[in-house]
Amino acid sequence: MSVATIWRCWLALMLLLAATTASAFAPLGSLNIVISLGIACAKALIVLLFFMELRASRALVRAFAAAGFFWLLIMIVLTGADYWHRTDAKAPIDQIY
Amino acid sequence: MSDRALGFQYGTLAQQRETATLGMWAFLATEVLFFGALIAAYLNYRIWFGQEFIAAASLTKVVLGTANTAVLLTSSACMAMAVTTFDAGSKRAPVLWLSATGLLGLVFIVIKATEWWLEYQEHLVPALNFDLARHGGVAEIFFVFYFCATGLHALHLLIGISLVTWLAVRIGSGRLQPGGSTTRLIGLYWHFVDIVWIFLFPLIYLAGRNA
Repeated sequence: MSVATIWRCWLALMLLLAATTASAFAPLGSLNIVISLGIACAKALIVLLFFMELRASRALVRAFAAAGFFWLLIMIVLTGADYWHRTDAKAPIDQIY
Repeated sequence: MSDRALGFQYGTLAQQRETATLGMWAFLATEVLFFGALIAAYLNYRIWFGQEFIAAASLTKVVLGTANTAVLLTSSACMAMAVTTFDAGSKRAPVLWLSATGLLGLVFIVIKATEWWLEYQEHLVPALNFDLARHGGVAEIFFVFYFCATGLHALHLLIGISLVTWLAVRIGSGRLQPGGSTTRLIGLYWHFVDIVWIFLFPLIYLAGRNA
């Protein structure tokens, strides 16, 4: 990795940090967390691809790197599929009686 | 660790290096799930408790948190510089960049500790002095998450600082030569700790600022 690439990445990370902090103070309702997590993903990608050298790595290394995040996605989606959809309403089968 | 010696089970040094890298990523995958479980719990509570949970997040110190993020991102750039200059065959430059990395890590810990001290004075530490009457139970749940997440992250950073110091001493004394995996693997660990913080930062510090 060239020295210029490292400091270009650093500059991009700093600009994204400034953008995410500034956007947090804008009254955008629930859009705020979407923006801040989107910027967090962009920052993480810069670190993963350049600093952690995944851009120059073979597919096998990339697959190992992606595996952890893929399992995390499964964990969050399956947890959310249960907890985020619970309501106080009775289930349809219980409403019959 | 004679890092350039070829183990009998490998055909080439390149194969040995890639095996080491894969091992590190396998370890980091377990770390992703370790911190990921905490973040999944945070998302659940945030959706359950909504505004009350988000309001608790706005009690954190956003200026110190943002400064700390900048410090940690800069330390990652220094770590990348250490790996690059070491590969290029320099001996002095990687030691200096590793020292900068470790020092920035220490600056992060000092700022973090200052925050914890301020929160202690504001009676925000669950199990020690949390003011339930003033802040409410939902805020206490948020601060349990906050102290678990930032505490575990700081612990990882302390391990990283120890590794970076050890590495700087070994390179400085000439016991570690370019071509091996040690520097790159410690670099991967350091950058991973940085990524954890990249996600903790918006969840902890930026929630509830838009009111």
